[in-house]
Amino acid sequence: MRANVWSGRNTVQVENVPDPKILDDRDAIVRITSTAICGSDLHLYDGYIPTMKRGDILGHEFMGEIVETGRAVSNLAVGDRVVVPFPIACGNCWSCRHELYSVCENSNPNAGLAEKMFGHSTAGIFGYSHLTGGYAGGQAEYARVPYADVGPFKIEDDLADEQVLFLSDIFPTGFFGAELCEIKGGEVVAVFGAGPVGQFAIASAIMLGAEQVIAIDQYDYRLQMALHKAGATAAIDFSKDPDIVEQLKELTGGRGPDAVIDAVGMEAAHGHGLLHTADRVKQASRMETDRGHALRDAILACRPGGIVSVIGVYGGILDNFPSGAWMNKGLTLKTGQCHVQRYMKRLYDHVKNGDIDPSFVVTHRLALDLAPDGYEAFKHKQDDCVKVVLKP
Amino acid sequence: MTSKATITVLGDPEEVQRQWRASDHGSILSENEEAVTFKRAPGDRGTEIHVDLARTAPGGALGETLQKLLGAAPRAKVMDELRRFKQVFETGVVTRSEGSPEGELAERKLKQRPAQPMEDSELMKVGLR
Repeated sequence: MRANVWSGRNTVQVENVPDPKILDDRDAIVRITSTAICGSDLHLYDGYIPTMKRGDILGHEFMGEIVETGRAVSNLAVGDRVVVPFPIACGNCWSCRHELYSVCENSNPNAGLAEKMFGHSTAGIFGYSHLTGGYAGGQAEYARVPYADVGPFKIEDDLADEQVLFLSDIFPTGFFGAELCEIKGGEVVAVFGAGPVGQFAIASAIMLGAEQVIAIDQYDYRLQMALHKAGATAAIDFSKDPDIVEQLKELTGGRGPDAVIDAVGMEAAHGHGLLHTADRVKQASRMETDRGHALRDAILACRPGGIVSVIGVYGGILDNFPSGAWMNKGLTLKTGQCHVQRYMKRLYDHVKNGDIDPSFVVTHRLALDLAPDGYEAFKHKQDDCVKVVLKP
Repeated sequence: MTSKATITVLGDPEEVQRQWRASDHGSILSENEEAVTFKRAPGDRGTEIHVDLARTAPGGALGETLQKLLGAAPRAKVMDELRRFKQVFETGVVTRSEGSPEGELAERKLKQRPAQPMEDSELMKVGLR
């Protein structure tokens, strides 16, 4: 089959590789009809995530048709249309039973490796380095899906692929970020990052009852999407004025937003001055892996007693964390890889009811063989790129 | 260098011990039964399995040189076997990926396969066909 594989920093190639096989009774094989490139794939592309190996198939946002099932899979039949969640979860361990799917205790066969970095292993993830298990990803024609009786979500109507594909990751992730803010109605929520996850965080905050949602980014075309498609009520373009904290105070009568969502993560772009230079130098020599500008500003901007909700991906170590601001303002810092399985049904119902059409983030559709072009366009924000969908 | 290996399995101590005795463990744990103890975990968390590495001798899987150097079963290998037992007890299957087709294996950490499917010949070599 054709598959998009990692071939070194800033290099992906579409190659011929063997077709996936059933390895265990709980596996299923999916013929992929649509798949996407995620912002977190860029951390792999840019070389910030360790333990990548040449030939690793990338991709963790995919959907398609079941073509084979293992003997223990009775909930799915050949021909079923499914969306596959990106965290691989067994459904049986203590964590899964408490709906903490992204920290499943069993699904990472390289748990020993992850333990060294994080203290404990977390769930396996499709196509996301050997630290998360070395699973082949979904930017391919077929994929093997473990624990198929737990993960895949059946689509039983004729919504287009693009309307349901994002149930695999970015819509639940944005929703999770907004849910962590404990919105009760009437809040002001600021969202750092107007990429696809940020767009869904904005839309979700509105759905959950926030009164004002402020989008923050440096690309005007993304801020326009946030304002006109995602429902943001205000936008801050920090390419025009880098003092985001001050602008957020102006927009909130000096109070600061009640909750702030970091949908940026470890490759934050907007640092300026000495702190940014220090970060870049350390990152280039791999002494510090994560750039924390978005997280720092989120902590400085959030109103005292408020919530900072982090859904941007961090991978390693971050310097210059504003511990004084965080502690003394009594902020609640909440984070995690989204427990996608928890949200798929609920968000699918929203799509079916017409409350939201997730396809609004799609700007580019390419054949799988053009994946390298897709990565470049997405990374460099070419041609007003927001989200690239690949068709095998 | 810690001298204990431990894992928690979601099941009652009686059931966990029953399955432990019936299981075909890796070579290290099979030859070191006295080093393994079971303890109820708090609340609804199941059963803790504790392996006292100081009371083990390296298993047959290790070469003689390693045995002399180590003197006791390396923690990583014992954890491999404990994880495998937990996976089978809780999920019914051994966790495998394309990068680690045999499942959790300390030796695999430095020699991962690329994360892509295997040819049939490779599957046969790792005993999956």
